[in-house]
Amino acid sequence: MVARPRLARRLRVAELPALTLVSAPAGFGKTTLLAEWAGTAGADGARVAWVSLDRRDDDPTVFWSYVAAALASAAPGVGLAEDAAALAAGTGAGTDAVVARLLNELGAARDEIVLVLDDFHLVESHEVHDAVVFLLDHLPAHVHVVLGTRADPPWPLAGRRARGQLLELRAGDLRFDADETATYLNDVMGLSLADGDVDALEARTEGWIAALQLAALSLQGRDDATGFIHRFAGDDRFILDYLVNEVLDRQAPAVRTFLLRTSILARLSAPLCDAVTGEPDAKAALAGLERANLFLVALDDQRAWYRYHHLFADVLQARLLDEQPELVPVLHRRASDWHEQHGDRPEAIRHALAAPDPVRAAELVELAMPAMRRRREEATLRRWYDALPAELLPDRPVLAIGLVGARMASGQLDGVEALLDGVERRLGPAADAADVVVVDRAELARLPAQTAMYRAGLALLTGDVEATTAHASRALEHSAADDHLGRGAASALLGLARWNVGDLAAAEHRYADAVAAFHRVGHHADILGCSRALADIQAAQGRLGAAIGTLEDALDVVARHGPLRGAADVHDGLAELRWQRNELDEARRHLRTAAELGEVWALPQHAYRWRVASARVAALEGDVAGALALLDEAERRYDTDFSPSIRPVPAVRARLQLACGDLEAAARWVRGAGVAADGELGYLREYEHLTLVRWLLARHRTGASDTALTEATTLLDRLLAAARDGGRDSGTIEVLALRALAHHAGGDTPAALASLGEAVGRAAPEGYVRVFLDEGAPMLDLLRAAREQPVPPATGEHLTRLLAAAGPPAAPAPPPVSPAGRRAPTGLVDELSSREREVLRLLRSELSGPEIARELVVSLNTVRTHTRNIYTKLGVTNRRAAVRRADELGLWS
Amino acid sequence: MQYELRVGGRLGPRWVAWFDGLHLADGDDGTTVISGEVVDQAALHGLLQKVRDLGLPLVSLRQVPPEG
Repeated sequence: MVARPRLARRLRVAELPALTLVSAPAGFGKTTLLAEWAGTAGADGARVAWVSLDRRDDDPTVFWSYVAAALASAAPGVGLAEDAAALAAGTGAGTDAVVARLLNELGAARDEIVLVLDDFHLVESHEVHDAVVFLLDHLPAHVHVVLGTRADPPWPLAGRRARGQLLELRAGDLRFDADETATYLNDVMGLSLADGDVDALEARTEGWIAALQLAALSLQGRDDATGFIHRFAGDDRFILDYLVNEVLDRQAPAVRTFLLRTSILARLSAPLCDAVTGEPDAKAALAGLERANLFLVALDDQRAWYRYHHLFADVLQARLLDEQPELVPVLHRRASDWHEQHGDRPEAIRHALAAPDPVRAAELVELAMPAMRRRREEATLRRWYDALPAELLPDRPVLAIGLVGARMASGQLDGVEALLDGVERRLGPAADAADVVVVDRAELARLPAQTAMYRAGLALLTGDVEATTAHASRALEHSAADDHLGRGAASALLGLARWNVGDLAAAEHRYADAVAAFHRVGHHADILGCSRALADIQAAQGRLGAAIGTLEDALDVVARHGPLRGAADVHDGLAELRWQRNELDEARRHLRTAAELGEVWALPQHAYRWRVASARVAALEGDVAGALALLDEAERRYDTDFSPSIRPVPAVRARLQLACGDLEAAARWVRGAGVAADGELGYLREYEHLTLVRWLLARHRTGASDTALTEATTLLDRLLAAARDGGRDSGTIEVLALRALAHHAGGDTPAALASLGEAVGRAAPEGYVRVFLDEGAPMLDLLRAAREQPVPPATGEHLTRLLAAAGPPAAPAPPPVSPAGRRAPTGLVDELSSREREVLRLLRSELSGPEIARELVVSLNTVRTHTRNIYTKLGVTNRRAAVRRADELGLWS
Repeated sequence: MQYELRVGGRLGPRWVAWFDGLHLADGDDGTTVISGEVVDQAALHGLLQKVRDLGLPLVSLRQVPPEG
């Protein structure tokens, strides 16, 4: 080993920027340099996480699971082990989520952390590149990324260079200079060459380390070093070719044969080499090669696995192709078979494709599909399919369906319909069963259900609800009773389709089935998404208690399995339900948690729903301007994904404007929304029609119209019938409440009280509050009057509750977090980070450590780390003291 | 499409199989000209990657117009 202090000096951990690039062609000693440096950096107290990338890591799921695993093992205090495992098992929320959580966890670590990614040029996936750039842009100051690569990554580097955020070591830096060449040849390799000879070699190789290594090997034990060097320097053959040839020529024929035959292997072990060469002496051969320094690198301490230096292997493979082309497919097939027998199917596939033996590769891909799908490694699947000839697919329906799945999972719909047609033709009654080539019989049985599901998915994408329902029903019919995953997915899709046409009873049953099915197969993220929909439907049915129960169950899943996509939405839902029950502190707590979780752990709807829920809370606190601003943002971020659009933001805004007396603005909404009192009613427009009723009542109150009250009353009667027909009890309650107001406005107090009594009677068992209190003073008068009447006890209790709640709202706890708050300096030597402030705020509450961890969605260890840091910064040793000190310092603003 | 790549270092006829049957010719300045039919851009980039992975300096690349 040649010590390279001039390079080591540039890699001091304390001075490293966010990104260090070691970019040079193969054979410039990048890996050696980085490995040695990693050792010293470790000794200096930095935590070094190392990932040696290979072609398989060009898949976001695989890539990030290795990165998470490496970071988890290098920095055990950083809570990433679960993420790595979740990604590997395919239960993770997706790689964006993992990257975001990675950043959060890294932020809590105290040591310097270095992530080394070697052979980064093997990553071509846009997704991985985008995520790595995101990671770099948000890296905490004590974390550094080092890339070893043969090509500069395809990102903007100039900006980083200009800002001093990039350290580069390039070929020019990595080449052996004259001193290093001399040290290597004479001291390390013991060659005792004359100065002239050393110079000649340096000139010819230009300091290319791999070439010097080969030259040194060729010179060992040679009498006429100068003669060899002279010949070498005078030959203009490609250096590697010349030198590898020299080295090969000096080997015994058996060794030479071994080298050539095993050159096709990415990794070598004795049993594998025996199988490929057909000779039983691989163990001795490998040991001999390692001793002779013939470019064999041990991959583990037990010497079970090796690999060749890439350059050496490439030249060997070229020789093999030239000398014995007919042998190459045979060798690949032997390697493929061995890997398949030893549980490495991806490697078996790689060799089958390289042979080339597309039929064998197709069989293996078909067998590999279910596991790849489960592990969400669609990028790898798509790569394999791209390498298979298209002609293979028509006769292989199971294989073809796998491609449909991989494409749809990535949103690439080209050719999917044609593939589905092809599969159905092969399965249809007219098909000849003998033509079908299938390796995985179990998957063949699932095909009718799967094809129907994919068709349902396509129909959903084009908004064809009827077709979605038809196909999803068929999928359910064809699914085996124990195929819980298939049945769950089909039920969820059916639930969505029924929900979209307002068939709440059917939708509720389907979603409940889906949640149960997903529980059985442990598909936790899907449980969250379906629970969210189920809760919405139950709330529409007037079953607030059931809706809250559904979402609380979903939170249990999150508590047990860590953050999942949809967790933020569950909190949004609970915030809305608690708000309806006027449990405002609870509502605020859920909104805060949802904000902490952020977009990363959210479904598309979260962005707008959180803002609508927050607007409602803000309005209650008297912050109308804030509420309107939130609603504007909500409108911009409006995305119901595929759920029915039952609460458009303009209608929510219009209600707020009406409550503030802004009839002009509400009138603009009426015109723009195209709602009319005589329009067609139904679930989808119920909220808007109820908003229209409020507008009509307001017009009547201000005397702006003589007909408004009659219109309102007629509309309310129609809405009541529609709500009852549709099983929408929450709509019924709201209609009855508004009807009471209408009767009262028309002077018919007994009718008003009757209507209100019925509304409150229905509302009581479920705890509806805001639907009454949001109507303001007129409703309060009626509620007081109703309290005077004889009413059933439950109704009476609820009336009391409503009137008590109508007092001024309780002083709010700190409002939902806005991202960039500016704070006055606190007089601390070391300011608290924003994360630490969040933990501190929770330390003030009664929550225990584990509860705080759950609240912030991090590991308990991370909370402890933050807490320790907080105590240190505040100069205290316990929780109470920390809160007291924070009070003294005024840290709560 | 016909392409012509020039790389630094003389490759012998032994390398023809490695370069998938493309034509190899010695340049006069210690370079090698690799030429022939390349199916599409993806194949071209695959070829460039082979060159890169061998550590062969890439000197020039040009598309050869079809014979008029």
